[in-house]
Amino acid sequence: MMLIINGHLDDAGHEDVGHPERPERLRAVLRGINELHLDGDLLAVAPYSASRAELARVHDATYLDELGAYCYEGGGDLDADTYATYDSWSIAQFAAGAGLAVIKELQIRDDGVGFVAVRPPGHHASRDRAMGFCLLNNIAVAAAELTSQGERVLIVDWDVHHGNGTQSIFWDDPNVMYVSTHQWPFYPGSGAPYEIGGLDALGTTVNLPVPAGATGDVVRQALLDTATPAIEEFAPTWVLVSAGFDAHRSDPMADLALSNGDFAELAILTASFAPRPGRLALFLEGGYELGALQSSVTSSLGALLGADFASERPTHGGPGSDAVANAKEARFAALRIARDTGL
Amino acid sequence: MQGIRTIAIGFDGSSDAQGAVLWGLNFAHDNDALVVVVHAKGLLARFEPTVVNEEIEASLAHVCDEVGVARSSVRLEVVDGDACSVMLRMAQPPVSADLLVVGTRGQSAHAGHLLGSTSLELAQHSPIPVVIVPRS
Repeated sequence: MMLIINGHLDDAGHEDVGHPERPERLRAVLRGINELHLDGDLLAVAPYSASRAELARVHDATYLDELGAYCYEGGGDLDADTYATYDSWSIAQFAAGAGLAVIKELQIRDDGVGFVAVRPPGHHASRDRAMGFCLLNNIAVAAAELTSQGERVLIVDWDVHHGNGTQSIFWDDPNVMYVSTHQWPFYPGSGAPYEIGGLDALGTTVNLPVPAGATGDVVRQALLDTATPAIEEFAPTWVLVSAGFDAHRSDPMADLALSNGDFAELAILTASFAPRPGRLALFLEGGYELGALQSSVTSSLGALLGADFASERPTHGGPGSDAVANAKEARFAALRIARDTGL
Repeated sequence: MQGIRTIAIGFDGSSDAQGAVLWGLNFAHDNDALVVVVHAKGLLARFEPTVVNEEIEASLAHVCDEVGVARSSVRLEVVDGDACSVMLRMAQPPVSADLLVVGTRGQSAHAGHLLGSTSLELAQHSPIPVVIVPRS
C-alpha cells in the first residue's frame, strides 16, 4: 500500500525560539517516515495553500482577516501558549491546504494511506480563536471539504489533549463524528463524556477521557467499548485522525504512559473504521519529544502499511478502567436526558 | 450595582491583572459580592509548574495586602485552559459568576487587534457583563 504525504516537510518558518512547537518536530517526523524505507511506495503531493473559501467553511471571515493582518504586522503572542510570526499566516494556509491535497490524491487513487505532516497543529483552533499552539484547524478544513462532497467523516483524535476546536466546529454537524481520547482533567478543560454534540447531531461527539498514567490498553478499551458501537451506527465513509503523539510516556507535555507500540495498535484499530483503502488520512497534531515523535510516526504508519516497526511493546496495567466505565455511563445518561427532554 | 453576587477576576500575576484584582476586591466589598480569582493554566505551564504557582501566589498575596484583605479569604481557582475560555467558563455552573473582571493587555505591540487580547475577546464572547480595568 502506498503512503501519500504532503510535500515541504522541512519548512523552517513559524518559529519562536525555545517554544516546544518548533520546526524540529517536522524533521523528526521526516526521519520517522524515512525509517520505513518506502522508496516507490511513498508519494509526496505538491504543496497547496488553502483558499479563503476553503478556510471559511470552518473559520469566521473576521478571524481570518484578523489573523492574516496580525501576522503581516509581525505577529506576537495570541495567548499565553500560542504565537504567530510574520510567516505564520502563509505557513498555516499551506498546512490547512496540505490535507486537501493529500485527500484529493487518495480519491484519485482510491487506495493508500494519507499522512498530513504539518505545523502549526490545528485541533485547538475554533471558528474564531487561535489557542493551544493552533492557528487554523487543518483537519476541520479537510473534513468540511469532504462533507461538502456528501461524505460522512469520522475524526478520531488520539492527541493527549482534547481537540476543543474540532469539537466545537462540528458540534451541530450530523455528518461529522468526533471521537477523542485524552488525558482528563487537563488542558484545555473541555472533553467531558457528557459533551455529546448539539441537538442536530446528538451522539456524534464521543469523549473518552482517561486519567494521568493511563496505558495503551485503557485507551483501546475506551475506543472499543464506547466509541466503536457509535462509529458503526454512524457508518463513516472517510476516517481522519488527529494524530498527536504527546500521549507517549516520554513526552514532557502530558502524563499518559503510551509507547510507540500503542500508537501502532491505535492506528490499526482506527483504520478498521474506514470503509475501504484510500479513505484514511492522519494529521499531525502534538508530539514534543523528538525521539518519541519519530518512533511513533514510524510505528503507526508502519502498522498501517502492514509492517511491524514498533520498538516498544504496547503498554498495559495503568489506571483508568473505572474512569472508562464511568465515562461510558455518563455519556449514555447524557444521551438519554437529551433525547427525552430535547435539552 | 444590584444583582451581582459573584465576580470572577482573571489573574495571570501581571501588573495589569493585579489592577483588576484591586478593583474587583473593592467592588466586591462595596457590593457584598463573592470573589473568585481565576488563573488559567495553559499548555506551557507544564514546563515550570512550581515557579508559576509560586509567582501567582506571591502576586495575589501582594494585592491582598494592598487592599487589606486576608489572602486566606480570597478563593483562587487554577483552571486548565486558555485565559479567555477559562473566564467564559466562570459564567457557567458551578461558579455562575455575574460579572467578569480582567485587566488590559498593555504589553501588546498590536494594540487594537482583537487577536491576542484576552480582554477584547472576552468582551466579544461573554454572555455576562465584563469589566476591563485600565492600567492605572
